[in-house]
Amino acid sequence: MNDGEGASPPRFLILVRVARTAGSDAEIVARCRAGDAAAWNELVERFSRYVFAICTQGFRLADHDAEDVFQDVFARVYVQLGTLRSDESFRPWLAQLTRRTCIDRLRAGGRETPTDDLEPPGVDETLSRLDEALAVHDAMAELPDNCREILDRFFARDESYRTIGAALALPPGTVASRISRCLDRLKALLEETGDARRLEDG
Amino acid sequence: MTAESHDKRSPDRRSHDEIGRLIAALPPAPIGWVRAAQELPAARRAIEGILTRAVADAAYRRRALSDLESALAEEGIEPTPAVLEELRERFLSG
Repeated sequence: MNDGEGASPPRFLILVRVARTAGSDAEIVARCRAGDAAAWNELVERFSRYVFAICTQGFRLADHDAEDVFQDVFARVYVQLGTLRSDESFRPWLAQLTRRTCIDRLRAGGRETPTDDLEPPGVDETLSRLDEALAVHDAMAELPDNCREILDRFFARDESYRTIGAALALPPGTVASRISRCLDRLKALLEETGDARRLEDG
Repeated sequence: MTAESHDKRSPDRRSHDEIGRLIAALPPAPIGWVRAAQELPAARRAIEGILTRAVADAAYRRRALSDLESALAEEGIEPTPAVLEELRERFLSG
Protein backbone atom coordinates (compact mmCIF):
# COMPACT_ATOMS: atom_id res chain seq x y z
CA MET A 1 0.00 0.00 0.00
CA ASN A 2 1.25 3.43 -0.81
CA ASP A 3 0.58 5.63 2.21
CA GLY A 4 2.59 8.48 0.78
CA GLU A 5 5.01 8.50 3.71
CA GLY A 6 8.16 8.48 1.66
CA ALA A 7 7.90 11.75 -0.21
CA SER A 8 7.68 15.15 1.48
CA PRO A 9 4.67 17.19 0.41
CA PRO A 10 5.26 20.66 -1.06
CA ARG A 11 5.81 23.30 1.61
CA PHE A 12 2.70 25.31 0.69
CA LEU A 13 0.58 22.20 1.32
CA ILE A 14 2.16 21.79 4.73
CA LEU A 15 1.41 25.43 5.54
CA VAL A 16 -2.18 25.08 4.35
CA ARG A 17 -2.61 22.07 6.65
CA VAL A 18 -1.22 23.91 9.67
CA ALA A 19 -3.29 26.99 8.91
CA ARG A 20 -6.42 24.83 8.71
CA THR A 21 -5.73 23.19 12.06
CA ALA A 22 -4.81 26.46 13.75
CA GLY A 23 -7.71 28.30 12.20
CA SER A 24 -10.39 25.77 12.96
CA ASP A 25 -10.52 26.55 16.69
CA ALA A 26 -11.12 30.20 15.88
CA GLU A 27 -13.73 29.26 13.31
CA ILE A 28 -15.65 27.05 15.74
CA VAL A 29 -15.46 29.69 18.47
CA ALA A 30 -16.80 32.33 16.08
CA ARG A 31 -19.66 30.05 15.04
CA CYS A 32 -20.47 29.30 18.70
CA ARG A 33 -20.62 33.00 19.42
CA ALA A 34 -23.05 33.38 16.54
CA GLY A 35 -25.35 30.83 18.22
CA ASP A 36 -24.58 27.85 15.97
CA ALA A 37 -25.70 24.78 17.97
CA ALA A 38 -23.70 22.36 15.82
CA ALA A 39 -20.54 24.38 16.47
CA TRP A 40 -21.12 24.16 20.22
CA ASN A 41 -21.46 20.37 19.97
CA GLU A 42 -18.24 20.28 17.97
CA LEU A 43 -16.40 22.47 20.46
CA VAL A 44 -17.46 20.28 23.40
CA GLU A 45 -16.54 17.14 21.46
CA ARG A 46 -13.14 18.52 20.50
CA PHE A 47 -12.12 19.68 23.98
CA SER A 48 -13.97 17.27 26.27
CA ARG A 49 -10.99 14.92 26.59
CA TYR A 50 -8.63 17.79 27.32
CA VAL A 51 -10.79 19.26 30.10
CA PHE A 52 -11.44 15.77 31.49
CA ALA A 53 -7.70 15.00 31.53
CA ILE A 54 -6.79 18.27 33.26
CA CYS A 55 -9.32 17.45 36.00
CA THR A 56 -8.37 13.81 36.47
CA GLN A 57 -4.67 13.69 35.59
CA GLY A 58 -3.50 17.23 36.32
CA PHE A 59 -5.51 17.81 39.50
CA ARG A 60 -6.36 14.19 40.33
CA LEU A 61 -9.95 15.07 41.20
CA ALA A 62 -12.30 12.29 42.28
CA ASP A 63 -15.02 11.39 39.76
CA HIS A 64 -17.82 13.43 41.32
CA ASP A 65 -15.61 16.53 41.66
CA ALA A 66 -14.25 16.07 38.14
CA GLU A 67 -17.78 15.86 36.75
CA ASP A 68 -18.84 19.06 38.52
CA VAL A 69 -15.74 20.89 37.31
CA PHE A 70 -16.21 19.56 33.78
CA GLN A 71 -19.79 20.89 33.61
CA ASP A 72 -18.81 24.13 35.30
CA VAL A 73 -15.97 24.73 32.82
CA PHE A 74 -18.21 24.30 29.79
CA ALA A 75 -20.92 26.44 31.39
CA ARG A 76 -18.34 29.20 31.92
CA VAL A 77 -17.05 28.78 28.38
CA TYR A 78 -20.58 29.18 27.07
CA VAL A 79 -21.21 32.32 29.09
CA GLN A 80 -17.76 33.90 28.76
CA LEU A 81 -16.99 33.10 25.12
CA GLY A 82 -17.94 36.66 24.23
CA THR A 83 -15.19 38.05 26.47
CA LEU A 84 -12.41 36.09 24.74
CA ARG A 85 -10.05 38.67 23.25
CA SER A 86 -8.75 36.53 20.43
CA ASP A 87 -10.46 33.44 19.06
CA GLU A 88 -7.00 32.06 18.23
CA SER A 89 -6.14 31.97 21.93
CA PHE A 90 -9.04 29.72 22.87
CA ARG A 91 -6.86 26.76 23.95
CA PRO A 92 -4.69 28.57 26.52
CA TRP A 93 -7.80 30.37 27.77
CA LEU A 94 -9.64 27.05 28.21
CA ALA A 95 -6.64 25.49 29.95
CA GLN A 96 -6.41 28.44 32.35
CA LEU A 97 -10.17 28.41 32.99
CA THR A 98 -10.10 24.68 33.74
CA ARG A 99 -7.10 25.08 35.99
CA ARG A 100 -8.76 27.88 37.98
CA THR A 101 -12.00 25.90 38.27
CA CYS A 102 -10.10 22.87 39.59
CA ILE A 103 -8.36 25.08 42.16
CA ASP A 104 -11.71 26.61 43.18
CA ARG A 105 -13.02 23.09 43.69
CA LEU A 106 -10.10 22.08 45.86
CA ARG A 107 -10.44 25.27 47.85
CA ALA A 108 -14.17 24.66 48.32
CA GLY A 109 -13.18 21.32 49.81
CA GLY A 110 -12.22 23.25 52.92
CA ARG A 111 -8.50 23.65 52.38
CA GLU A 112 -7.38 27.10 53.47
CA THR A 113 -4.02 26.99 51.81
CA PRO A 114 -2.28 29.19 49.23
CA THR A 115 -3.13 28.42 45.60
CA ASP A 116 0.36 27.07 44.90
CA ASP A 117 -0.08 24.49 47.66
CA LEU A 118 -3.45 23.38 46.30
CA GLU A 119 -1.94 22.41 42.97
CA PRO A 120 -0.65 18.84 42.93
CA PRO A 121 3.09 18.46 42.38
CA GLY A 122 4.06 18.28 38.72
CA VAL A 123 0.84 19.88 37.45
CA ASP A 124 2.71 22.17 35.03
CA GLU A 125 4.50 19.21 33.46
CA THR A 126 1.24 17.25 33.22
CA LEU A 127 -0.58 20.14 31.56
CA SER A 128 2.27 20.66 29.14
CA ARG A 129 2.10 16.96 28.25
CA LEU A 130 -1.67 17.22 27.74
CA ASP A 131 -1.09 20.13 25.33
CA GLU A 132 1.24 17.87 23.34
CA ALA A 133 -1.36 15.10 23.44
CA LEU A 134 -4.01 17.48 22.14
CA ALA A 135 -1.74 18.38 19.22
CA VAL A 136 -1.32 14.67 18.45
CA HIS A 137 -5.11 14.22 18.53
CA ASP A 138 -5.43 17.21 16.15
CA ALA A 139 -3.08 15.46 13.76
CA MET A 140 -5.12 12.26 14.14
CA ALA A 141 -8.16 14.18 12.93
CA GLU A 142 -6.36 14.57 9.60
CA LEU A 143 -6.06 10.80 9.17
CA PRO A 144 -8.60 8.67 7.29
CA ASP A 145 -11.48 7.45 9.48
CA ASN A 146 -10.23 3.86 9.65
CA CYS A 147 -6.83 4.97 10.98
CA ARG A 148 -8.27 7.44 13.44
CA GLU A 149 -10.68 4.86 14.81
CA ILE A 150 -8.18 2.06 15.24
CA LEU A 151 -5.58 4.27 16.95
CA ASP A 152 -8.19 5.74 19.25
CA ARG A 153 -9.59 2.33 20.16
CA PHE A 154 -6.19 0.81 20.85
CA PHE A 155 -4.44 3.65 22.68
CA ALA A 156 -7.05 6.03 24.08
CA ARG A 157 -9.80 3.49 24.81
CA ASP A 158 -7.35 0.75 25.75
CA GLU A 159 -9.19 -1.93 23.74
CA SER A 160 -7.47 -5.25 23.01
CA TYR A 161 -6.68 -6.55 19.50
CA ARG A 162 -9.48 -9.08 20.02
CA THR A 163 -12.07 -6.41 20.91
CA ILE A 164 -10.99 -4.17 18.04
CA GLY A 165 -10.97 -7.09 15.63
CA ALA A 166 -14.51 -8.06 16.64
CA ALA A 167 -15.77 -4.47 16.33
CA LEU A 168 -14.15 -3.84 12.96
CA ALA A 169 -14.43 -7.39 11.57
CA LEU A 170 -10.64 -7.75 11.23
CA PRO A 171 -8.32 -10.62 12.21
CA PRO A 172 -6.04 -9.71 15.18
CA GLY A 173 -2.94 -9.86 12.96
CA THR A 174 -4.47 -7.28 10.63
CA VAL A 175 -5.35 -5.08 13.59
CA ALA A 176 -1.69 -5.04 14.68
CA SER A 177 -0.35 -4.27 11.21
CA ARG A 178 -2.95 -1.56 10.62
CA ILE A 179 -2.09 0.10 13.92
CA SER A 180 1.57 0.12 12.93
CA ARG A 181 0.81 1.53 9.46
CA CYS A 182 -1.48 4.20 10.91
CA LEU A 183 1.19 5.19 13.42
CA ASP A 184 3.58 5.65 10.51
CA ARG A 185 1.10 7.97 8.82
CA LEU A 186 0.49 9.91 12.01
CA LYS A 187 4.22 10.24 12.65
CA ALA A 188 4.71 11.59 9.12
CA LEU A 189 1.89 14.08 9.66
CA LEU A 190 3.38 15.27 12.94
CA GLU A 191 6.76 15.71 11.32
CA GLU A 192 5.22 17.68 8.46
CA THR A 193 3.32 20.00 10.77
CA GLY A 194 6.40 20.39 12.97
CA ASP A 195 8.37 21.40 9.88
CA ALA A 196 5.63 23.80 8.90
CA ARG A 197 5.57 25.44 12.32
CA ARG A 198 9.32 25.97 12.16
CA LEU A 199 8.87 27.53 8.72
CA GLU A 200 6.13 29.81 10.05
CA ASP A 201 8.25 30.79 13.05
CA GLY A 202 11.03 31.68 10.67
CA MET B 1 24.60 14.57 16.92
CA THR B 2 23.34 12.27 19.67
CA ALA B 3 19.82 10.87 19.71
CA GLU B 4 19.10 12.96 22.80
CA SER B 5 20.19 16.23 21.24
CA HIS B 6 18.23 15.36 18.11
CA ASP B 7 15.10 14.85 20.25
CA LYS B 8 15.59 18.17 22.00
CA ARG B 9 15.92 20.02 18.71
CA SER B 10 13.02 18.21 17.08
CA PRO B 11 10.26 17.42 19.59
CA ASP B 12 8.01 16.39 16.71
CA ARG B 13 10.34 13.50 15.79
CA ARG B 14 8.66 11.06 18.12
CA SER B 15 8.81 7.29 18.26
CA HIS B 16 5.73 5.12 17.82
CA ASP B 17 5.75 4.41 21.56
CA GLU B 18 5.81 8.07 22.42
CA ILE B 19 3.01 8.86 19.98
CA GLY B 20 0.98 6.00 21.44
CA ARG B 21 1.49 7.36 24.96
CA LEU B 22 0.33 10.80 23.83
CA ILE B 23 -2.81 9.38 22.22
CA ALA B 24 -3.48 7.45 25.43
CA ALA B 25 -3.06 10.61 27.52
CA LEU B 26 -6.45 11.82 26.29
CA PRO B 27 -9.01 9.06 26.88
CA PRO B 28 -12.63 9.94 26.16
CA ALA B 29 -14.60 11.73 28.85
CA PRO B 30 -17.70 9.81 30.03
CA ILE B 31 -20.32 10.11 27.32
CA GLY B 32 -22.97 11.37 29.76
CA TRP B 33 -20.75 14.29 30.77
CA VAL B 34 -20.16 15.23 27.15
CA ARG B 35 -23.86 15.07 26.28
CA ALA B 36 -24.80 17.18 29.31
CA ALA B 37 -22.25 19.82 28.27
CA GLN B 38 -23.56 19.75 24.70
CA GLU B 39 -27.11 20.32 25.98
CA LEU B 40 -26.08 23.45 27.87
CA PRO B 41 -27.41 25.97 25.32
CA ALA B 42 -30.77 24.17 25.15
CA ALA B 43 -30.85 23.97 28.95
CA ARG B 44 -30.20 27.70 29.19
CA ARG B 45 -33.02 28.44 26.78
CA ALA B 46 -35.32 26.13 28.73
CA ILE B 47 -34.44 27.86 32.01
CA GLU B 48 -35.16 31.26 30.47
CA GLY B 49 -38.49 29.93 29.18
CA ILE B 50 -39.47 28.53 32.58
CA LEU B 51 -38.56 31.77 34.35
CA THR B 52 -40.45 33.91 31.84
CA ARG B 53 -43.53 31.72 32.17
CA ALA B 54 -43.21 31.74 35.96
CA VAL B 55 -43.27 35.54 36.01
CA ALA B 56 -46.46 35.61 33.95
CA ASP B 57 -48.25 32.70 35.62
CA ALA B 58 -48.27 32.43 39.42
CA ALA B 59 -49.82 28.96 39.43
CA TYR B 60 -47.12 27.69 37.07
CA ARG B 61 -44.46 29.32 39.26
CA ARG B 62 -45.73 27.45 42.35
CA ARG B 63 -45.91 24.19 40.43
CA ALA B 64 -42.46 24.60 38.88
CA LEU B 65 -40.87 25.60 42.18
CA SER B 66 -42.31 22.55 43.90
CA ASP B 67 -41.00 20.22 41.21
CA LEU B 68 -38.07 21.65 39.25
CA GLU B 69 -37.25 18.30 37.69
CA SER B 70 -40.69 18.00 36.08
CA ALA B 71 -40.55 21.61 34.89
CA LEU B 72 -37.31 20.85 33.07
CA ALA B 73 -38.53 17.50 31.78
CA GLU B 74 -41.58 19.26 30.29
CA GLU B 75 -39.14 21.40 28.30
CA GLY B 76 -37.32 18.28 27.13
CA ILE B 77 -34.24 18.94 29.26
CA GLU B 78 -32.56 16.28 31.36
CA PRO B 79 -32.57 17.56 34.95
CA THR B 80 -28.86 17.10 35.70
CA PRO B 81 -27.64 18.39 39.09
CA ALA B 82 -25.91 21.37 37.41
CA VAL B 83 -29.03 22.43 35.49
CA LEU B 84 -31.26 21.95 38.54
CA GLU B 85 -28.89 24.02 40.63
CA GLU B 86 -28.88 26.83 38.12
CA LEU B 87 -32.68 26.84 37.82
CA ARG B 88 -33.02 26.83 41.61
CA GLU B 89 -30.58 29.74 41.95
CA ARG B 90 -32.31 31.73 39.23
CA PHE B 91 -35.70 31.21 40.94
CA LEU B 92 -34.29 32.27 44.29
CA SER B 93 -32.52 35.31 42.89
CA GLY B 94 -35.63 36.34 40.89
